[in-house]
Amino acid sequence: MLTEALTTSALLFVIGTFGVLVRRNAIIMFLCIELQLNAVNLALVAFSRYVGVEGQVFVFFVMTVAAAEAAVGLAIIISIFRHYRTVNVDNFNLLKW
Amino acid sequence: MSDAYLPILLIFGVSALNAVFMVALSHILNPRRPTPQKAMPYESGMIPLGDTRARFSVKFYLVAISFIVFDLEAVFLIPWAVEMRALGWSGFVAASIFVAVLTAGLVYEWKKGGLDWD
Amino acid sequence: MNPFSALTPIVLLGLTPLVLMLVISFHRSHRLAVVISLVGMALPLALLAGTATSAAPPLAPLLIIDGYALFYIGLLSTATMVVVVLSYGFLERVPGNREEFYLLLTLATFGCAVLTASNHFISFFLGLEILSVSLYGLVAYLRTTRTALESGIKYLILAAASAAFLLFGMALIYADLGTMDFTAMTSVLAAKTREPSVLLLGGFGMVIIGAGFKLAVVPFHMWAPDVYQGAPTPVTAYLTTVSKGAMVALLLRYGQYGGLLDYDSVASVLAVIAVLSMFLGNLLALLQDNLKRLLAYSSIAHLGYLLVAVIAASREGSHAVTFYLVAYFITSLGIFGIITALSDERKEADEISDYRGLFWRRPWVSGALSLMLFSLAGIPLTAGFVGKFYVLTAGVLSDLWALVILLVVSSVIGLYYYLRIIITMYLSAPEDPSSPLSATRRFSLPEGLVLAGLTVLLIWFGIYPAPLLSAIQAAVGSLA
Repeated sequence: MLTEALTTSALLFVIGTFGVLVRRNAIIMFLCIELQLNAVNLALVAFSRYVGVEGQVFVFFVMTVAAAEAAVGLAIIISIFRHYRTVNVDNFNLLKW
Repeated sequence: MSDAYLPILLIFGVSALNAVFMVALSHILNPRRPTPQKAMPYESGMIPLGDTRARFSVKFYLVAISFIVFDLEAVFLIPWAVEMRALGWSGFVAASIFVAVLTAGLVYEWKKGGLDWD
Repeated sequence: MNPFSALTPIVLLGLTPLVLMLVISFHRSHRLAVVISLVGMALPLALLAGTATSAAPPLAPLLIIDGYALFYIGLLSTATMVVVVLSYGFLERVPGNREEFYLLLTLATFGCAVLTASNHFISFFLGLEILSVSLYGLVAYLRTTRTALESGIKYLILAAASAAFLLFGMALIYADLGTMDFTAMTSVLAAKTREPSVLLLGGFGMVIIGAGFKLAVVPFHMWAPDVYQGAPTPVTAYLTTVSKGAMVALLLRYGQYGGLLDYDSVASVLAVIAVLSMFLGNLLALLQDNLKRLLAYSSIAHLGYLLVAVIAASREGSHAVTFYLVAYFITSLGIFGIITALSDERKEADEISDYRGLFWRRPWVSGALSLMLFSLAGIPLTAGFVGKFYVLTAGVLSDLWALVILLVVSSVIGLYYYLRIIITMYLSAPEDPSSPLSATRRFSLPEGLVLAGLTVLLIWFGIYPAPLLSAIQAAVGSLA
C-alpha cells in the first residue's frame, strides 16, 4: 500500500516539476507547483499511516500555506496581466532571466 | 469463486468493445463536409451570441481569493471542534486567538473595500 | 520559568504586523506605520537584553528559544529596523499605498524569527513560507513598474517550486527517521545504527535545494541577479541580509549540531556548492554594469565563503559564520542603504556609471561607500576582513586546505570589481556639464544617522572585534 501511494506521489511530483520547467504560461506553472505540493501531501499522509500522526498535521499546514501562496501569487499574475496583456513568461524580458 | 464472475466480465468486455466498434465505425464511414452552420455550437436552435469564453470581471477574483483563504482556515477549526471537550479551556483560548487574528484580517479587508461589489 | 515568557520576543514580532494591519484599516499614515514597525522591532530587542542571560528552556515541540535563537532574532530585527528607516525615504517618492510595505516587512521578519527558532519541520516550513509569501508581495510592491512585476513573478515561481522540493525532502526524511522533531531527529541520527538509506540522502538533498535557493548559492542562484535588480532597493537589502541570515542560522544549527554534516555525502555536496558559488559569483560579477546585479553576484560569492566555515563543522567554524554574517549584514545594509538614499524621483542610482566622480560631489558618502566595498573585498581594518580571517582560520583548523586555497583565489578575483567601483567614484565627473548629474539626492537625517552608524560599526568591528566575538561565543555556546 505504501509503495503504491509513494509511486503515485513521486509521479505527481515529477509531472509538476516538468510542468514548471516546460510550460510557459504563468498560471499553468503555478498550477504545477500546487500539484507538487499536493503530491507531497499524499506522501505525508501515506507515511503517517505507518509512522505517526505528525504527517497528517503537517498536511493541514501545507494546505493553508498553499492557499496563501495562491492568493498572493494570483494577485501578482493579475497585475502582470494588466500591464502586459499576457501571462506568458517568455514575454517578460526586461531583466535577463 | 472467480469462475462465477467470468460471464459478467465477458459482458462488460463485449459491451465495451461493441461501443468502441460502433463509434469508430461511424467515425470512419461517415462523410465529412463541415459548413459554418454545422460547426456552430448548438444552442437550442438559437444563433449563439458572443464568445462562449466570456471573461469574468476581476471582481470575482477578489471574492474567490477571500473565499479560499477564509475557507481553508476552517481546516484548523474542525480538529479543535471535534476534540473540544478534551482540549478544554486552553484549546478554546488558542482557537479564540486564531479567530481573532483572522478577524483582524477581515477588518482590514472590509475597511479596504474588498467586500464592496461596486 | 514560564515557557510563554520565553516566547515573548517572537509573540511581539508577530503582533507587530497585526497591530499595523488594524491601524492601517482605520488611519493611514506613513509616519505612524514607520513608528509602529520600529517600536515592534525594538521591543523584542529590549526584552532580549533581559532574557539573554537566563537559559530559556526549549518549547517542545515547535520552537526552541535559546541564546543562539535570541542572538539571531536580535540581529534580524535590528537589520529590519535599518531597512525600515531606509524604506521611508524610498516610499515617499513612489505613488500608491505605502503603509502595507511595513506590514509585509514586519511579517517577513516574524517568519525569519520563527525560522531561526524552529525545532520542528512544521515551524521550519511555516517560518519559511511566512517569509517567502511576504517577500513575493515586497518584491512586486511597485506594481505599476514592469521590472518589479517581472522580478516578482520570477521570485514567486522559483521560490514556490523550491519550497515544494524542500517539502518533498521533509516528507522523505520523515518517512526514514519517523519523526519531524529536530531534537528527536538528532538523537536518531547520532545513534547511527545503520548506513543512511537512499530515502534519507534523497531527503537531505531536496532540503538542501530548498535551503540553497533561499541562500542563492550556485546552482540555485538563477533568480538572484534579476530579483535584486528589479526589486525596490530596500527590499533587495532585506533579501540579501535578513532572509539569508535566517536560513544560515538554521543551517548552522542543524548542519553542525544536528549531525547533518557528519555524513560525508552531505559535506561534499555542500563543498561543491561552496566552490561553485565562490567562483561563479565572482566571475559573473566582473561582467556587470548594474550595481544591484553586481552585488547579487557578489552576495552569491559571499555565501560561498560562509559555507566553507559551515563545512568546517567546528566551534570556531560556527563563531566564524556568525561573525561573518554580522559583518556582511553591516556592509550590505550600508551599500544598499547608500544606493537607496542617493536615488531620487528621476532615477535610481543603480548603474555603476551613476557613481562616476561621486567623490568630488559627495566626499563623505563616497568615503563610506568605499569603506563598505573594502569590507566586502576583505581589506584589513574593516569588519569584512576580520570575518574572512575567522572563516579562513576555521577552515585551516578543520584541515579544509583545498577549500581555503580556493577561497583565497576567488577573493582575489573579487577584489577587481570592488576596486573598479571605487576607482569610478574618484574619476572626474562626466565631461558634458549639461547632463543632469545622477546620485545627487541629499540624505534625510535618519538616513544619515543610520548610514553613519553602520560605517562606524564597520570600522569598530574591524579594529576591535573582541566584544562582538565574545557575544557570539556566548550565543553559540548555548547550542548543544
